[in-house]
Amino acid sequence: MLLSPMVAVIAQALVNGLLIGGIYALVSIGVTLIFGVVKIVNFAQGEFVMIGMYISYWLATRTGLDPVVSLVVSMPLLFLVGVLLQRFLLRRVLGLGDMPQIFLTFALSLLLINLGVLLFTADYRTVDTSYTNSAIHIGPVYVGVARLIAFVLAMLLSGALEVFLRTTDLGKAMRAAAQNRDVAMLMGVNPDHVFSMAVGLSLAMAGAAGSLIMPFYSVYPGVGQVFVLMAFVAVVLGTLGNVRGALLASLMMGMGESLGIQFVGADSGLIVVFVVLLLTLALRPSGLFGGQTR
Amino acid sequence: MKRRLRPSAVMGLTAVALALVLLPQIVSNPFAVDICIRVLLFAFIGVAWNLLGGYAKQLSLGHSAYFGLGAYTSTILLIRYGVSPWIGIVAGGIVAMLASLPIGALCFRLRGPYFAIATIATAQVLMLLFLKFRDFAWGAEGTTIPNLGNSPWMMQFDAKAAYYYVALILLGIGLAITSWVERSWMGYYLVALGEDQDAAEAVGVNVPRIKRDIYLISAFLTGLAGTFYVQYIYFIDPNTAFNFNVSVEAALVSIVGGIGTLWGPVVGTLLLEPTSALVQSWLGGSRGGVQLTLYAVILMAVILWRPTGLLGILVGAYERMTGAAPGGAPTATAAARKGASFDG
Repeated sequence: MLLSPMVAVIAQALVNGLLIGGIYALVSIGVTLIFGVVKIVNFAQGEFVMIGMYISYWLATRTGLDPVVSLVVSMPLLFLVGVLLQRFLLRRVLGLGDMPQIFLTFALSLLLINLGVLLFTADYRTVDTSYTNSAIHIGPVYVGVARLIAFVLAMLLSGALEVFLRTTDLGKAMRAAAQNRDVAMLMGVNPDHVFSMAVGLSLAMAGAAGSLIMPFYSVYPGVGQVFVLMAFVAVVLGTLGNVRGALLASLMMGMGESLGIQFVGADSGLIVVFVVLLLTLALRPSGLFGGQTR
Repeated sequence: MKRRLRPSAVMGLTAVALALVLLPQIVSNPFAVDICIRVLLFAFIGVAWNLLGGYAKQLSLGHSAYFGLGAYTSTILLIRYGVSPWIGIVAGGIVAMLASLPIGALCFRLRGPYFAIATIATAQVLMLLFLKFRDFAWGAEGTTIPNLGNSPWMMQFDAKAAYYYVALILLGIGLAITSWVERSWMGYYLVALGEDQDAAEAVGVNVPRIKRDIYLISAFLTGLAGTFYVQYIYFIDPNTAFNFNVSVEAALVSIVGGIGTLWGPVVGTLLLEPTSALVQSWLGGSRGGVQLTLYAVILMAVILWRPTGLLGILVGAYERMTGAAPGGAPTATAAARKGASFDG
């Protein structure tokens, strides 16, 4: 090999980060979609990843279904949960200002995490698949098969959502509602329907993220916090409400975190992410979301 | 704005104050006294949070940053330099205050939910730093506070009642400051800023300055709570000092009681702390997650059905009972009225 060991280490870290960044993207796209359409930041988005993971975990341990295949169960189930969430909870705090909106989804997050602890205990649970430990070698870089599958499917799902938003009537209605809700209503967009579909789709993405990482990640009740913090940072970095912005920012966050783990220390991935967030706020606040009035 | 209290209200307040002072003399069960101390402490943290979150409507979820800085400052001063925690508690408050300047400068660039997220991030960064730098402050293992026996000058007491009185005084300070802020020019600016930041700015409120000032006060008070807490439990580590639950509970007690009201955090804590302590002792504490599940359900119920908090219900019931005439309203009523006009 002509590559120096240092380059190989960096390349490995970047590849690992990129692959996990695909999962972060599914979560941040969900956050950005709900925010864009319904104008609520869902603090509980990570907990729906957790629910997706538990669905795949139980299906895998009880029926032997492959976690990645159990996507076909977790996505529709979480879509349904999303519709109910919008109909029974989010709808009641629309337009009520920051306090009820923040603390309703925040309370939901607390509730789901702690119900998880009550029902399943705080134990870490894993699923072993035939490909959990296999890897492809590309030069000096190892690419985990499970991570690669997760990344490719995550990108396909993100692409499908983008196509959906750009080409279908419902997708266009969502984008219209995101741009200017009042005008969209005047043009005949039914808010209840559009909001329910947007929250449903967003939660389905979170459920997909959960199923996709199950072959190589442990599930425990607080697991969602890892993903949701990353998603929030990505959403601040990318342009809010913009699916592509959230996607790119998530991939960058994944690689940033991975480099942080490699060069600062195993416990420092989050420090890097938070420092990136705080530096962005310090140096470029106006180009970001903070420059706008909601 | 001088309020005239009716004789019955004065007598009522005197009776409550007397009862609070005599309480630890009557109640001897250590478990009950411990609950009382926790009620006072979390009510105090709630009062500190409420200044920023309730009046200015800057919904912080990172107040554990200041709790932790206060706790670590006094502990480092005590163990490394033998400085009494009575001095350490003020030093801790000042360190927390100073830290709020850069943190505020960054986080106030964001509004609403993103302000909340940025404050979570700052508290987490501080916790991770204290976990990582072992030489500076004992790292993840933490340390016990050296037990010096009964030494009031070092804020260590044999009797739990003494801690009760310290916490009572802290809460009194917090309420006095809130009451002063409520009545000063600052209070009006804060309410204007909380209602509509852009409109307040347009009519000449110096929004960045007022946010900075109220954050300084809020951080200072939270720092005091941190020192008191580690002196009370004789132990410190990053997970205790910067515990996310402190940030959550600070907001929770204020919202459940009545956000942006003087007595809201006190009412909220009185409801939440004893309930959770009792539920935990019934279930034997073996099951994790009970306390926060309970809190989450209460918080959701309050937001959906009573977003102005439970204080308003109490005041309404009191008024129906006594048929209180307008004009002679006691402090809590005035505060609740202010809360009732809160619409998000």
